[in-house]
Amino acid sequence: MTGNDLQSYAPLLLHLTLAMALSGVLVLLSSLVGWRRPSTTKSQPYECGITPTGDAREPFSVKFYLVAMVFILFDVEAIFLYPWAYIFRELRWFGFVEMILYIGILLVGYFYLWKKGALDWNRPAVRRDRAS
Amino acid sequence: MLDQIVFYFFAVLAVISAVMVVTRRNVVQSAIFLITALLATAGIFLQLHAEFLFIVQVILYAGGIMVLFVFVIMLVSLDVSLNQVQFNRQWWLGLLLALVLGAQLTIAVAVGRAGLPLGEPAPAKMLEPSTQLVGRVLFSEYVLPFEIASILLLVAMIGAVVMAKKKI
Amino acid sequence: MIPTSHYLFLSLGLFTIGVIGVVTRRNVIVILMSIELMLNAVNINLVAFSRLVGSVEGHVFAIFIITDAAAEAAVGLGIIIAFFRNRETLLGDEMDLLKW
Repeated sequence: MTGNDLQSYAPLLLHLTLAMALSGVLVLLSSLVGWRRPSTTKSQPYECGITPTGDAREPFSVKFYLVAMVFILFDVEAIFLYPWAYIFRELRWFGFVEMILYIGILLVGYFYLWKKGALDWNRPAVRRDRAS
Repeated sequence: MLDQIVFYFFAVLAVISAVMVVTRRNVVQSAIFLITALLATAGIFLQLHAEFLFIVQVILYAGGIMVLFVFVIMLVSLDVSLNQVQFNRQWWLGLLLALVLGAQLTIAVAVGRAGLPLGEPAPAKMLEPSTQLVGRVLFSEYVLPFEIASILLLVAMIGAVVMAKKKI
Repeated sequence: MIPTSHYLFLSLGLFTIGVIGVVTRRNVIVILMSIELMLNAVNINLVAFSRLVGSVEGHVFAIFIITDAAAEAAVGLGIIIAFFRNRETLLGDEMDLLKW
């Protein structure tokens, strides 16, 4: 039993080992062999073009968070769809009704987001807030 | 042999990166180490023959939840927190209590491990794809928790929008 | 074959580290990350026991926990954003009011 279980993942393991070894060796080699002559021009974010002003870590709009949040929650929904899709022939109508109910509940959330303007990037959300 | 190597490698990786998550000053570094810890856990799931859970862990945790974390770290300004004291005033008391908890759990497992049989999974059952087995259990015995999960997600959506959306 | 107790030791180690993070750190984002770490440790436990028993019910529970973690992260980070907007800080010590 020992070792036989993971035998089928041996290529994956080989891949992982190779990738880690290669990246480790490359970083190590470049830090050992290469020399450093730091200068102000080199440490600029862009080699050419306009000179950057201010800090790169500007706090940005909360809309990014909302989009990421919506993505995660619907990602979770998709995760539940996978095993369902795998066996839905066995489940027949029971599984179908089950999944319709599940998606229906999440559709409520979807319409809520839509109504609230969480899916709009530009216009309505800002205007509504200004009006109120 | 391969089993042992994989397990101990991922276990050590997970523990080291967990320690780094807790001790790093920079929150972004904490987040990166948390991704490492989660991926190491995914490796342990694979070693335990939970293939479906492995994929869920990689897609949802390492790919999804961490994106959310990094976005929020970028959303709130970083530089403020870098110069502050990272541990609270009663950190030694908290550390002590947490270590006591850890010691208790260790003793509990060490005493009780004799009662655990060496897990020999039923081979025929485990040869089936894990996704199919999970689906069969999920959609027969755990239908109600599954539907409740959708309500949880709905509540999370509404809660997050209400919390974040007040004024942009 | 790795004995189940080793999985339990790994899991309790991760859980304890998560607890240490929650009780000692001041940054709320790190506290939330430590909670994710604890949930993860629980998942390892569930899957290890699931293999011990020879069923996949532990996997199902682990999926529910991951769902829960996603919902918790979404709402928790929303709360952090609202908190940061009101107080201009990320320190958990400053969270001492129920209503602003």
